[in-house]
Amino acid sequence: MKISLQWINDYVDLSDIAPEELAHELTMRTVEVEDIRYQELAYDKVVVGKIMEILPHPQADKLLITIVDVGEAEPYRIVCGGCNLYEGQRVVVALPGSYVRWHGQGEPVLIKKTKLRGEPSCGMICASEELELDELFPASREAEIMDLKDFDFPAGMPISEALQLNDVILEIDNKSLTNRPDLWGHYGIARELSVIFQRNLMPVADFVLDSSLEDNEHSLPVTIESPKRCSRYAGLVFSGLDSRPAPHWMRVRLAAAGITPHNALIDITNYVMMTTGCPTHGFDRRFVNKELIIREARKGETLELLDDTFLQLTAEDLVICDTSEPMALAGVKGGKKDSLHDDTTEMVLEVAVFDPLSIRHTAQRFNVRTEASTRYEKGIDTQRVDISIALACQLLVQLFPEAQLLGYQDAVATTTSQAKIDVSLAALSKSLGRKVDYKQVSTLLFALGFTVQRVDEDILNVVAPSWRSTGDVSLFCDIVEEVARIIGYENFDFIPPTVTLEKAIKQDGFDLERRVREYLAFRCDFREIFTYPWTADDLIAAAGVEAEIELAQPPAPDQSRLRPSLVPGLIGNVRGNLRFQDEIKVFEMAQIFLSGETSPSDPAEIFPVQKLNLAGAIAADEDQGLYIFREVKGLIAQLPDYAGSEQLTFQNISPPVWADKDVWLNIIGQGESIGSLGLLSSKVKNAVGIKRTQVAVFELDMTKLTPQPTRGHEYRPLPHYPLVEEDFAMIVEEKVTWEQVREIVEPMVKELTYVEEYRGSQIPAGKKSLLFHVLLGSDEGTLSSDQIAGKRGAIVKQLSKKLGAELRQ
Amino acid sequence: MLQKLENIEQEAMRALVNIQSEEELQKLSQQYLGKNGELTQVLKGLGQLEPDDRRNVGQMANKVKTSLSEQIDNKRISLSDSAPVLDFPPDLTAPGISPKSGGLHPITQMSYDLNDAFHSLGFVIFSEDEITSELFAFDNLNFPPDHPARETMDTFWIKGTEDKRGADRLCLRPHLTGASVRFLRKYGAPARFVYPGRVYRNESTDARHERAFFQYEALIVEKDFPFASGHLLIDTILEKIFGRKVNTRMRAGFFPFVEPGFEIDMECQVCGGDGCRVCKNVGWIEVMPGGTPHPNVLKEAGLDPEEWSGFYINIGLDRLVMMRYGVDDVRLFHSGDLRFLSQFR
Ligand SMILES: [Zn+2]
Repeated sequence: MKISLQWINDYVDLSDIAPEELAHELTMRTVEVEDIRYQELAYDKVVVGKIMEILPHPQADKLLITIVDVGEAEPYRIVCGGCNLYEGQRVVVALPGSYVRWHGQGEPVLIKKTKLRGEPSCGMICASEELELDELFPASREAEIMDLKDFDFPAGMPISEALQLNDVILEIDNKSLTNRPDLWGHYGIARELSVIFQRNLMPVADFVLDSSLEDNEHSLPVTIESPKRCSRYAGLVFSGLDSRPAPHWMRVRLAAAGITPHNALIDITNYVMMTTGCPTHGFDRRFVNKELIIREARKGETLELLDDTFLQLTAEDLVICDTSEPMALAGVKGGKKDSLHDDTTEMVLEVAVFDPLSIRHTAQRFNVRTEASTRYEKGIDTQRVDISIALACQLLVQLFPEAQLLGYQDAVATTTSQAKIDVSLAALSKSLGRKVDYKQVSTLLFALGFTVQRVDEDILNVVAPSWRSTGDVSLFCDIVEEVARIIGYENFDFIPPTVTLEKAIKQDGFDLERRVREYLAFRCDFREIFTYPWTADDLIAAAGVEAEIELAQPPAPDQSRLRPSLVPGLIGNVRGNLRFQDEIKVFEMAQIFLSGETSPSDPAEIFPVQKLNLAGAIAADEDQGLYIFREVKGLIAQLPDYAGSEQLTFQNISPPVWADKDVWLNIIGQGESIGSLGLLSSKVKNAVGIKRTQVAVFELDMTKLTPQPTRGHEYRPLPHYPLVEEDFAMIVEEKVTWEQVREIVEPMVKELTYVEEYRGSQIPAGKKSLLFHVLLGSDEGTLSSDQIAGKRGAIVKQLSKKLGAELRQ
Repeated sequence: MLQKLENIEQEAMRALVNIQSEEELQKLSQQYLGKNGELTQVLKGLGQLEPDDRRNVGQMANKVKTSLSEQIDNKRISLSDSAPVLDFPPDLTAPGISPKSGGLHPITQMSYDLNDAFHSLGFVIFSEDEITSELFAFDNLNFPPDHPARETMDTFWIKGTEDKRGADRLCLRPHLTGASVRFLRKYGAPARFVYPGRVYRNESTDARHERAFFQYEALIVEKDFPFASGHLLIDTILEKIFGRKVNTRMRAGFFPFVEPGFEIDMECQVCGGDGCRVCKNVGWIEVMPGGTPHPNVLKEAGLDPEEWSGFYINIGLDRLVMMRYGVDDVRLFHSGDLRFLSQFR
């Protein structure tokens, strides 16, 4: 919202305070001022000129040479293409050094002495759009320069002074105004400033309504049929009006506040709204048939708007009707034929209060946001109708001396009740963290419009003003805020909170999550990634998983489903990163969503199943398949030791849908399958276009990892006697597994280590060479070479007997 | 003969000085002390000398032999000690070999740093599920029924529930604040906890806007907690992120779930508060809302607002991490692009 400081100064004299200070104080205490704009800066070196002589341009038909008095010793010679020039005309001249907006568009351009088609030209005679004055001085045709014929300004007078363009405009962030319906007009801001700077606040208007005119024969009967949606409606009938323009000062102010001036009648309705924050609306009396009814629209009714569109109305819409038909969408928009016209001489002025929700829904349904609906949506008190009527009457009388208030009706369904709050000074001091007394609190609240009555030493009866009682202020904490913000948050000293130490914080679950992440990142060389919970349909399809939880309005049509597994996102990530590198190690820890019913927190809520999962992938060259599978298996197997959880083992129970049919394992924790690992199947890789690459993937349910209460290391005493290293290369059938070998060898040695499997020309078909490494030793003494040979022989013999293995020569 | 021995010794000593390698030393040793070495020849020829000469020459020859052997041994040790470890001239400007390059996401890193800081202040960590209900996302938090954030374009409602109300209307959480009521209901007050996490808004994205982003909330609930003490939370967060004290100010602000509510600004880190393009010339940048939990929120949490108060803050982690590192596109955080992520070690 744009706030004119001149407008503010009508109600509180702040002329001695710098706009920067006003803006700062408002920002700190009330609402955020985003920008301060000095109007006159845009009009530096732009002055009133008087055309003394007009000469033809020797080179160009469409250009003229003008001799212009700009208040200096010598007149200026300016080449101009204006179509409405005449000698003696008062115009606006942009002197060299000033800025204008070329044809009203683009960035402002610096005016210099120049030559136009060979003729020297010093300055520029401006059209209104070139100075952004087209709202105040609309041009009626192309190339029309601004004619100041209605003004008697001396040549050379700065235009900012002549046209009163010396205001300062504060741009206020509308977001910070959402809970303050009282601040949607200049008077509300003036009130805040009067409190902050402890200045006197003038009344909005001093017009007193002649109550003998109420309900007389000239007034229109007003009936509120929907009292829940319209709490007050005043209709005032005026005569003696016409379509004259409003005086320049009013037009300048409206333009400064961002409202386009029209004629005096319309401008007055807008001016009242921009002052009090209460919208008003004018109907041409001629077209209002007998009475005013505020009711819900009937099915099939329509409303023609000012822009020639028709609105189909429903019972959800509140309309203002006369005896025959709807004339306006209440609080949102006026209808076409019942608005003010150029030949309007009598007006019915509406000053009313509508229910915020009702207005909001109607504005949303028709997608119309007007200055009026924006204000009604915030909640306006019924009492504000009175000051708005007073200001409207005062302005009408001021602008139309012949105008007459013929009669009025004022229907009140409900009156905004003022919030009453008991405030304990002790509690207030405690909340504020500083001692406040009755005098300070009552002075401050009184200035804001509250009434304060002292019940005893401690308790005050506080009554909020009506303009703060439509939802904004209702509780003790609201009073805390009022007092605190006016004192100024910057004036409260930091008070260190007192710490009560009870016991050390222990959160095993969170600690485990963190250790798992750190293990993968720092031990296993993985990068942590985050992907979106909504997953592209092609990835879900490629991974072969079922996704059943959907978004009502997805970010993209093919991303409506929430992930039931982290694997599809991981596959997408691997595919993306493969464009830039061949070897990838990534993991993600995030929630997945499965159909089901859970109520983990509030029994009223039934959620789908939500679990924290961990998944990771390694991508490497095509021939690295088994190696990266073993890498993943190894990191899962070691995870419990490093991250501190119960041990994990592997089994083949049920294959993951995305894995190759031969290369997968389930991860077993506490006796149940909590995840799987495997190499991506060719089908999955083909579906997403991963070529000549092996991808090993794992995924597990983090919630099934049980954190150990403390570190789980085990100490084994160091050997007393030296151990002997021995290597074995055993040729076995392909079907013989390491597990079988391990079961036989492990009990016979101090330590057993898998080295590798080997297939090659020296190995018979259908067989493989299994390499492993053992440590032999004894607790009784150093092994002799005979003893070593004996143990070696025993191992070979056992393997040969049980698995048909042969020692490779 | 004695003269010859003296010559041999001097000659050998001279040669020894210039020797640079074990091989040369071996050759020298052979030349004088070997089977056919010069000194060995002299000793072999002793028999042909006169007995007197034999004794003198013999003594002299043995002395020379001992001395030469000693010198050669010394030279061998000295050569071995000064042997270079590389047998080629090394290029020491070759780059070092990097350690493993795995790592945590920059948001996780920052989040953990903040957790550590708050842990040290006695805060616990909490989290709720990402799918929540309108009841906890809005109703419990004193959002009026017509608050714009409830409209479908801002919140990702779950299909099939979007037309329901309250506990039956499910969504991806649009903010973390709902978790505060869950925590307080479960653990009661007094309480000090942080609840970091990812939130979702159905908005169009650009370099500054994301549909999924991270927030970090902290809440203290205590008896008679003055809002001026809330600075502790603000300073803890900003000092951790920026590594030094950052000036802040609290000013009037409105959020339904707090009263009084604040906008918290920090001094612009680009211009140091002098005013620049980044801070729109005011020297301050809005970083987070904060305030005292609204009585209606405390009531929903099962606490008596007459008795309990506290302080709440919520920061957008993405934005502060962007400011901290100069990241210019918020969408990079969810890109999973390793070229981006590997920069955060
Ligand atoms: Zn700055």
